[in-house]
Amino acid sequence: METGGFHGYRKLPNTTAGLKLSVSDMNMRQQVASSDHSAATGEENECTVREQDRFMPIANVIRIMRKILPPHAKISDDAKETIQECVSEYISFITGEANERCQREQRKTITAEDVLWAMSKLGFDDYIEPLTMYLHRYRELEGDRTSMRGEPLGKRTVEYATLGVATAFVPPPYHHHNGYFGAAMPMGTYVREAPPNTASSHHHHHHHHHHARGISNAHEPNARSI
Amino acid sequence: MDHQGHSQNPSMGVVGSGAQLAYGSNPYQPGQITGPPGSVVTSVGTIQSTGQPAGAQLGQHQLAYQHIHQQQQHQLQQQLQQFWSSQYQEIEKVTDFKNHSLPLARIKKIMKADEDVRMISAEAPVIFARACEMFILELTLRSWNHTEENKRRTLQKNDIAAAITRTDIFDFLVDIVPREDLKDEVLASIPRGTMPVAGPADALPYCYMPPQHPSQVGAAGVIMGKPVMDPNMYAQQ
Repeated sequence: METGGFHGYRKLPNTTAGLKLSVSDMNMRQQVASSDHSAATGEENECTVREQDRFMPIANVIRIMRKILPPHAKISDDAKETIQECVSEYISFITGEANERCQREQRKTITAEDVLWAMSKLGFDDYIEPLTMYLHRYRELEGDRTSMRGEPLGKRTVEYATLGVATAFVPPPYHHHNGYFGAAMPMGTYVREAPPNTASSHHHHHHHHHHARGISNAHEPNARSI
Repeated sequence: MDHQGHSQNPSMGVVGSGAQLAYGSNPYQPGQITGPPGSVVTSVGTIQSTGQPAGAQLGQHQLAYQHIHQQQQHQLQQQLQQFWSSQYQEIEKVTDFKNHSLPLARIKKIMKADEDVRMISAEAPVIFARACEMFILELTLRSWNHTEENKRRTLQKNDIAAAITRTDIFDFLVDIVPREDLKDEVLASIPRGTMPVAGPADALPYCYMPPQHPSQVGAAGVIMGKPVMDPNMYAQQ
């Protein structure tokens, strides 16, 4: 109980941010709806970029929803918008927790491991196993390019050493259901230098990316710095 | 539409209450079940509990709907199990990391909306893209379950509200849905009727802190066949 209370205090900054985002979301619902319609036609209106950027594109959201709904299902417009808002809130919620961990450990960069840790901490346990697998697959297939775009090797090594220390203090609460995954998870989660998937089949794809230096860039050719 | 929604309120209330019992797969849910369904209502929530004027009525409705509802919840649990299993299998076969179902740049912008966030590794938005897809799928599946309970074929906002109310890990979304959509679910299953739609900052911690009792969480872990969670959960808290 006491721990719970302490946890509550720590979350105050996040809740404030969440509240702001939530209010903003509600206020801009109509504008975003219009913007998304124009976005669907391939146009991006300059003056609505800010509002639009608060949500995932509605076409993408609807496509994903339809994957799990029966063919005859209909989705009301307000449901579509609500899911959009929920996704943004989810990203902010997880990011806030991941960032707190970074700050606690005096790191500046939110890593994929921080995101997974935050999800587990916030109760999204079912997500950890598939996402850890996804991260491993990503590194296996795209890892060479990622490392080339990262920080200088020395600094990266130092960062992972810090992660190693963090592991000692806060063991990851990951659970597993099979030997392979159990073996893979601790290694893959924190030590990139020794990927555990050496035995698995190796598929290489060569993509034409714009490789901008700096680890804060997203994997999109048209990604813009903020 | 509005009238139809109102006419379904009693059953929604009962459904909300009953749902608490069926969510065996949620490690936090059993912690809230301290006895008969009636006591769940009175014991749930970190805010001051309010009495249930419709307690007797609730009990009666619950008896009437319990069988059908249990079948539906069982079906939902099976669908969720199938969903997570298929997600794992799908990811095992993923080879294309260029075309994400959600744009990475947009994810990054939403992450950076928090001014405290400084640098983001290239992998974080990639993980988020997949996580958000799973999140949308799970929330949609749970919402659709409510649509079917009400014998509709159009997924509505109140279905999403119901799914949020019934799922502990979605507590952080309570402010997203207006109070009217939550009202009956809340009154029937969680005494948060006093929570405003866009509450003051002081009220928000209650949203973000579903009640967690370490001993019960541990017990839940054991029940779910994930005993390894127990020590780690304690370590985290």
